[in-house]
Amino acid sequence: MRLKPWKYVVALWMTAVIVGGFLIPIPEIPVLEESARNLFLHVPMWFTMSVCFALGLFYSIKYLNNPDLAVDRKAETATQIGLLFGVCGLLTGALWARFTWGTWWTFSEPRMNLSALGMMIYVAYFVLRTAFDNPDKRAKIAAVFNVFAATTIPFLLYIIPRQLPSLHPGADGNPAFSEITAPELRYIFYPAVIGFIGLAIWLIDILNRYKKVKHQIEQPL
Amino acid sequence: MSFSLMQVQEDTVAAVDTLSKSYSSQWEASAGLEEAGPVMQAMASNDLIFIVLGVSLIIWLVLLFFIIRTDKKVGQLEKKLNNSNTD
Repeated sequence: MRLKPWKYVVALWMTAVIVGGFLIPIPEIPVLEESARNLFLHVPMWFTMSVCFALGLFYSIKYLNNPDLAVDRKAETATQIGLLFGVCGLLTGALWARFTWGTWWTFSEPRMNLSALGMMIYVAYFVLRTAFDNPDKRAKIAAVFNVFAATTIPFLLYIIPRQLPSLHPGADGNPAFSEITAPELRYIFYPAVIGFIGLAIWLIDILNRYKKVKHQIEQPL
Repeated sequence: MSFSLMQVQEDTVAAVDTLSKSYSSQWEASAGLEEAGPVMQAMASNDLIFIVLGVSLIIWLVLLFFIIRTDKKVGQLEKKLNNSNTD
């Protein structure tokens, strides 16, 4: 029993990213100091979450065009893994904020609060799914809800925070990644984004195959 | 913002301040490193960042092992199911 080759590539790639992330020399950045290495971990969480949610949106729209429960299953799985990475992003962000901004959580930080709101919208997706016994009805309502949920994400995470003053990079009066990030950090940052997205796709693949097998076993013969 | 672990420690009732003094002479782990082998000396350099790397790698590799194992288990179930369907 062998895994598909790309999975070994993801495993080695992520291992290399972790080793590189610790070992590369980074410039001295005031306030952040060595915690600047969190860039390789915290930021890819949000990139990966966005990719997963986009995948979920794609499958939801596909389901609405062609009602096939296998497609609904894929939409649910992609959204589950996306939420997993989003929660990791919130938790790592809170820890990082404690030691650079001085607080675990602040309600004056728009990006922090709006991303938490985005997570809650996605939690509602799963709550909504539990409300139906009829799988076709559940799939249809969930797909419609997911279209609305996914639409809020660009506004909550990118557009609105950019209009408001904030300590978080990428806000009004606080330039985004492109202008302030030292070029050395990018050699690990971009591979880290690719690696985490690869890992997320791997997790989606496992969870989806598990659900498929479970469905086949539970099917009345 | 100034956050100091020492302040936290001063408020406790601990008899020994283990953050500034060793609890026991046997625990002075980095004391004898000059005589340790080159590998251990390299591990202890750079403010112990390699120890954090090691801990992170252990966690990552254990999780990776678990992911691969789960993937294979699902693969075996798929195979079993396909075989029973074609029979």
